[in-house]
Amino acid sequence: MTLVIDGLSKSYGHVVALDQVGFRVEPGDIFGFLGANGAGKTTTMRIVLDILRADSGTVTWRGRPNIDLPRRTFGYLPEERGLYPRMRILDQLVFFAGLYGVPAGQARRDAVGWLERFRVTDLADRRADELSKGNQQKIQFIAAILHDPEVVLMDEPFTGLDPVNVALLRSAFLELAARGKTLIFSSHQMEMVEALAGAIAIIDRGRLVTSGPTGEVRRRAGRPIVRLAVEADPELAWVSSLPGVRLIRPGPHVSELTVEPGTDPQSILRAALARGGVVTCFEIADASLEDVFIELVGRSAGDGSPAGARAAVESAA
Amino acid sequence: MSGGHPDGSLMPNAGLVARREYVEKIRSRAFAVATGILIAVAVGAALIPIGLRAVDRGQITRIGVVSSDPAVTARVVDLVSAYLNPVPPGTDSATVRPHYQLSPQMDLASGLAGVHAGRIDSLLEVTIGSDGGLDFTFHGNDGPTSATIQRLQVATFGAAVVEYSQSLPHTGSGPAFHVPSFETQPTDRGSSVAPIDPGAMGSRTLLASILVVVIFITLTVYGMWVATSVASEKTSRVMELLISAATPRQLLVGKVVGVGAAGLTQYLAILVPATIVLALQDPIATALIGPADPGEAPLVGLTLPILLAFGFFILGFLLYAFVYAAAGSLVSRPEDIQQLAMPLSFVSMAGYFAAIFGMTAINSSAVAFLSFVPFFSPYVMLSRVMLGHVDAWEIGLSLALLVAAIAISTWIAARIYGAGVLLYGQRPGFRTFLRVAIRPDGG
Ligand SMILES: Nc1ncnc2c1ncn2[C@@H]1O[C@H](COP(=O)(O)OP(=O)(O)OP(=O)(O)O)[C@@H](O)[C@H]1O
Ligand SMILES: [Mg+2]
Repeated sequence: MTLVIDGLSKSYGHVVALDQVGFRVEPGDIFGFLGANGAGKTTTMRIVLDILRADSGTVTWRGRPNIDLPRRTFGYLPEERGLYPRMRILDQLVFFAGLYGVPAGQARRDAVGWLERFRVTDLADRRADELSKGNQQKIQFIAAILHDPEVVLMDEPFTGLDPVNVALLRSAFLELAARGKTLIFSSHQMEMVEALAGAIAIIDRGRLVTSGPTGEVRRRAGRPIVRLAVEADPELAWVSSLPGVRLIRPGPHVSELTVEPGTDPQSILRAALARGGVVTCFEIADASLEDVFIELVGRSAGDGSPAGARAAVESAA
Repeated sequence: MSGGHPDGSLMPNAGLVARREYVEKIRSRAFAVATGILIAVAVGAALIPIGLRAVDRGQITRIGVVSSDPAVTARVVDLVSAYLNPVPPGTDSATVRPHYQLSPQMDLASGLAGVHAGRIDSLLEVTIGSDGGLDFTFHGNDGPTSATIQRLQVATFGAAVVEYSQSLPHTGSGPAFHVPSFETQPTDRGSSVAPIDPGAMGSRTLLASILVVVIFITLTVYGMWVATSVASEKTSRVMELLISAATPRQLLVGKVVGVGAAGLTQYLAILVPATIVLALQDPIATALIGPADPGEAPLVGLTLPILLAFGFFILGFLLYAFVYAAAGSLVSRPEDIQQLAMPLSFVSMAGYFAAIFGMTAINSSAVAFLSFVPFFSPYVMLSRVMLGHVDAWEIGLSLALLVAAIAISTWIAARIYGAGVLLYGQRPGFRTFLRVAIRPDGG
């Protein structure tokens, strides 16, 4: 009853894009798919959709291999957005839904409904090349889901959207999940994944690093975070002298610290009080997804590491 | 994909793709402009049959005459020649160019040798009976319905009558008039039968050349339409969505059919005004080149060749279009298509030249061979049908091979397309084409 991705390997010439990648996505989940640039997210999605064939490995949905499933099982929002530049938006939506087997009349009604939801009814008669990038992206999202697929794969659906549209898209995600659809999306925006995804997988340079329910991954992979604020002591210079404690994000009001496994976070509070400080904030939290990501992907990054991850590691040190 | 796959069938997706393609093509400005220009050209071309008639007029059919009596031969030459080359009333006979040239031959053997050598087109053998009556045997490849034969039958009858009246004793009682017989004997010049009136050869060659040129232009232009259309879907990146919604085969077939239908629409738009000009042809011809000769070879008997030409044209388009589509799927920018399509246009050009030059040796075995080779047959078989003799089985075999080649090329093209549309930044070249055809997933 799940989407099972098992042992996927894929090479382009001598570039290994995927190496034995496997994870499971439960039906009805919103699943976050994370990885640095070039990690293999897009490649994995294409293999799931059967528009690319893996060198080895299988993908099954509800027990059936993906290559035997009708194409309408899946909806896809490609990373490279693209519509017919000279075609009317509504016509395109009806055309794509038609390819998935949706009768034109129904497709037209549903498309108009979604355009209303995204507050872009005025776009229906416009040509795609007249649209802004963010608006094209919303249209592309509608194209991905108009045929009511069981599984929707979205490659970075949130990039380029303004906060209002991000909120609209998020609520659409939640509604689809509530209707039992399985949503898989890749993103580089960790807060978004944290907020939306019930489970995640992280891949790094073609290898699966971790996967599972989001909270579990955060607890398992990351060190607990302590948020601390002491009155009249924004620097908190003394914490570095505590064994197993590191100041990772100094802030003007609240600073964040990590605690090595085996170190009791309460020791920080005791130390602060022992110094006679007035503690205005003390909070122990699971590591943020961002920390987990940097921990898992940034740490292993060698020479070929993505620039973004390395920069993040440096700023954290 | 296996036959049992839920997306295995072509319809309705190929139909949807074809319709979208068709509508977009028809609505485009470039289409309207090109069609407008072509209509103008076609109306001009519709005047061609008048030109054809003028060409046929310049054509001289050479007929040798032989009999056992040189005097009889000379008289038959004069009489038949006078009948076959009438001087229109009111014209000076010195200014009229004869259509038929009759010449006496030494004997039957040297006459037939002349036909074989191409010195004369045919030989008229006159047999003088014991009672002085004449019988005629025509050695030539003209069919019994050809204008030459029909007119010769009348002419020889006239010659027999004149000969009979001259041999009558003046007393008035002689042998009864012997009604001359007229037989035709094919001369085997190259092929078993070549039922084409040499008088119509000129016009047929011209018409065949025009059809071959039209097919060449069409295959190249509409083939490029297909390739450009595929490449622009890659450029606009709509491709990735397309192939996640439909199979490469559905997309390919839809595209080729849609573009083909747009091409046919363009043809229709061109044909209608051209047909109107054709319908008004007689008055125009009379005004331009004078009235038709009695019995002048009309442009009939061409319906079958033209229908066949249409069939070969459609199939040829399909064959080339699938390869063009595969080529288009490999380039990232439409500008690169030219380069990738170059080898294909060489193939097309080879077929074109084979057909054009083959017209001078239409019954040679090389031409016959090429008329079965799928990428060439649309051209070469067309000129064979127009100008030489072709058996029905040959046409059938050629068509069957063409259809088989289309099936194979669809399969290979779908393979290349499925892999090619996700490849960006490839060097556009023939080697890329081959590499992807052999190992689509090699990346
Ligand atoms: N067509 C191709 N030819 C050669 N190499 C490719 C091709 N497509 C992808 N790759 C390589 O495969 C690896 C994985 O690429 P992929 O696009 O799946 O990464 P990604 O995780 O989606 O990255 P991003 O976050 O930047 O989108 C990369 O090293 C990439 O260079
Ligand atoms: Mg990607």
